[in-house]
Amino acid sequence: MSEKYEHLYVVIEHEDGKPIPVSLEMLGEARRLMEGFNNKYSSNENVVAVVLGHNVRKMCEELIFFGADAVIYADSPELQHTRNLVDTKVISRIAESRELAGKFSDAAEFVKPRYMFFAADSIGRHLSSTVLAELESGLASDINKLVIEDLEIKHEHKTKGQSMKYEKTLEMYRPDFSGFLWTTILCLDNRNPAIAREYYPQACSIIPGVFAQIARDTSRRGTIIDYQPTFDEHDLKVRILERKIVKSAVDFDSHKGIVSFGRGIKDSPEQNIKLVAELAEQLEAEVGISLPISKKPFAVSESTSSEYMIPDRVVGTSGRKVAPLLYVAMGISGAMQHIAGMKEAGFVVAINPDENAPIKDESDIFIKGRMEDVIPLLLDELRSQKPAIKVKK
Amino acid sequence: MNAAVIVKLEPDFSEGNVSYNADGTLNRAETKSILGPHSAIACAAAFYAKVKYGARIAITTMGPPVADMALQQAQLISDADELHLYSDRIFAGADTLATAEVLRNGISKVEGGAVDVVFSGHRASDGETGQTGPQTAWKLGFTFLGNVVDYDIDIEMRTVRARRMISLQGFYDIIEEVEAPLPVFIAVDPSYKASFRTISQRLAFEKYRKEANLRAQNFKQHLKVFNAQQLGVDPKFVGLPGSPTIVYKVERIPKAKASRKTEVVDGSNREELRKVAAKMYEILGGMVIK
Repeated sequence: MSEKYEHLYVVIEHEDGKPIPVSLEMLGEARRLMEGFNNKYSSNENVVAVVLGHNVRKMCEELIFFGADAVIYADSPELQHTRNLVDTKVISRIAESRELAGKFSDAAEFVKPRYMFFAADSIGRHLSSTVLAELESGLASDINKLVIEDLEIKHEHKTKGQSMKYEKTLEMYRPDFSGFLWTTILCLDNRNPAIAREYYPQACSIIPGVFAQIARDTSRRGTIIDYQPTFDEHDLKVRILERKIVKSAVDFDSHKGIVSFGRGIKDSPEQNIKLVAELAEQLEAEVGISLPISKKPFAVSESTSSEYMIPDRVVGTSGRKVAPLLYVAMGISGAMQHIAGMKEAGFVVAINPDENAPIKDESDIFIKGRMEDVIPLLLDELRSQKPAIKVKK
Repeated sequence: MNAAVIVKLEPDFSEGNVSYNADGTLNRAETKSILGPHSAIACAAAFYAKVKYGARIAITTMGPPVADMALQQAQLISDADELHLYSDRIFAGADTLATAEVLRNGISKVEGGAVDVVFSGHRASDGETGQTGPQTAWKLGFTFLGNVVDYDIDIEMRTVRARRMISLQGFYDIIEEVEAPLPVFIAVDPSYKASFRTISQRLAFEKYRKEANLRAQNFKQHLKVFNAQQLGVDPKFVGLPGSPTIVYKVERIPKAKASRKTEVVDGSNREELRKVAAKMYEILGGMVIK
């Protein structure tokens, strides 16, 4: 039997006809969630991949191998590169189309998707915002855990202080800026008759690198649906004139070592960053930082700030997940969100004066001491043991 | 040319001002508030429009009465002509969609609704969603351009040309140059920096900076406060009633299970550090230690 709000739609991002990793990670998590969902509620709701682009037909099969039950794709030269205005309208029309939902399910009652996923990157973050503004429903950003539950909710406005049951609610967990707290966001369906809105889909943007892809399974079958988009003439006046791929100045992948610093630089930030840079040079390592540093909490010279205190260097769920052979964490306490970004490292050395810091349990060697005291001694030792063969990159 | 900026009063995360609880979470009571750093960058982008195109600037914010402090700091950066504070008890508890509803109504009132460009920061330092900007843009019907690292406006053609930095985490970055008809909504990338090259621009820069200093000293003369009724918002679409989402719970993120056997080393012991240094070279591989 068809319901008004069904299925989980996943907005796929891709480059050069290939889905980027977070797209497959979203499909993997969607697959796991909806299998649990269909078992629990004896239903048959689908994971639906939504793809916009040009010459994207051949990617659709891949998306099914990676977990989609159905793929709705819009193929047009106008969709070659993402434009927020154009893409928002196409995605919203797809999400609200009963006809399209009818191609893979009994959609007699279909109004909108039940759930919707986007990538929390510089495309999906904005696209999710505008699509959900258009669909007038709720959105949580930067999610790293998802659970579907029937919940008893007591809320000052939503339930007027009474206890009410909300079924099939998506619990969307997001780590806060400190990295120590998890906030669970819910998008609850509207039960106030005075407000003519339905709060579906329950939507979120998902942090890249958090969820696992499922293994590619070429025996999986699904429905591929060709959607012919129409465009508003005015919207096409937004024109992309040039697109250049640039390599990030920060290169974690081709270095065998990463040396990272955190708020422990605080007593003499400029000097300590200089020490970290020297250590990085000695070990031919890249420099990473913890999330709080990207907020530039310390007064340092302009050149130091623009070279080191930048989001590109953040290791953690809000930045990059890394797996170097050697990871050195200096003045980093070890918030969950940082640990998640470095726990795959081969060997971890931490330098920290506080033996109770969580980073200790994540280290193979924990050097107790302040970084300003320890790094100069360590540098001395490293220099006197100068290797005969240079570290190969 | 008329520009508006959306700013936010945020906790001051700079050392000496920020205070953390023993468990590592933010101590809000002990932490001061300031104009958010990304909001400040948005103000600098608006100031560029003032210097280069003589734009009139209105700074807007939704918040409690004390948020006028953010407006004053924003005026100092941008030499704003008007400061608009949207403040009402019924705005409290708003999620991004309900906040965007207030801001949309507010910006529709700036310069009689004749705004050509709206600026916002990349994201707030506390909420960190980055959703309010694009959602406000959508409600206004303005073309949204995010992650803008620089821009110029063709006044005659009424178009903007912007460079955007698209970062695909762990993949690569793309610099995109885009052209769009006005009106537009620009979310400014954290790396944005205005540059004033010509002599006339530098003279204008100095003139407006002096003016900004004077204006900010008497910022209340430029301040207008709007409540829900004055904004003409529908109470059903703002604050708690207008928010599809709720915060269901806040919990400590459980500590990951210790995954390594840790050897503790005294950081002042040279002998031990010598072994650590050797171990580091060994790990980095392929190295013979002589």
